[in-house]
Amino acid sequence: MLEHILNLSAFIFCIGIFGLITSRNMVRALMCLELILNAVNINLVTFSNFLDYSQIKGEIFSIFVISIAAAEATIGLAIVLAIYRNRKSTRIDQFNLLKW
Amino acid sequence: MKLPESFFETIFFFIELSLILGTLGVVLLNDIVYSAFLLGFVFACVALLYLLLDSDFVAAAQVLIYVGAINVLIVFAVMLINKKQSDNFFLVWTIGDGITSAICTSIFLLLNNTISNTSWSKIYLVAQLNKNTELITTENIRRIGLELLTEFLIPFELMSIILLIALIGAITLARGEQVINLEDEVLRNKK
Repeated sequence: MLEHILNLSAFIFCIGIFGLITSRNMVRALMCLELILNAVNINLVTFSNFLDYSQIKGEIFSIFVISIAAAEATIGLAIVLAIYRNRKSTRIDQFNLLKW
Repeated sequence: MKLPESFFETIFFFIELSLILGTLGVVLLNDIVYSAFLLGFVFACVALLYLLLDSDFVAAAQVLIYVGAINVLIVFAVMLINKKQSDNFFLVWTIGDGITSAICTSIFLLLNNTISNTSWSKIYLVAQLNKNTELITTENIRRIGLELLTEFLIPFELMSIILLIALIGAITLARGEQVINLEDEVLRNKK
């Protein structure tokens, strides 16, 4: 049972990495980043339930991960909106202003 | 969870199926509005999974924060930015996508291999030895509250600072242009 849930979270993690690398739209990349963080959270809560039932350290850490993900999604979307306002395009492979 | 094992497995099978289909839809669909709403569905299914794993506070936090705030934010951003792209239903598959999918499949198989090669029963026995042998009868949220305010106090306070910084930063980034124009106007009127 534990292995089954860990395999599921590994699958969501790999799908998230695939989507993050191959997405041409910036908002889709942020959505795949949230998928990756959710996969990590599933892992933490699973380990906390099966192996650490007395002191639920995994769940507390997953609460911190959820709030960090909220902060990072907010700032990421603010940056995407600012870029879209200036450049009228959301294709992530065309922004090379910071390249040397 | 103190359910009979087959009941647990059945519910988990349905949650797993909807999670797999949902994440594939988020990544592979061409229309980003469908992806955004499927992401909300994925978050709700993960909350159901947390309920199955006996962590009701994390499930409630997941629904409130992820579905209620982050997904709404993402749908707002999609609606503000959306441009009509090509008319395919799935993404156009390029060579780079193929290489990335091969690499991600190999990472997934490696993780599967590691998970099945680990002896979870031994780790469970070690964890049983280390824990204190008192009976836990209070609810989940009381225990989380106790741990947050005694052992995890510093991360808790730092988290509030991080959220404050994120709030101020996001407002500053998303509205920056107008304030500068107003000051230029005022300077020009003074001259």
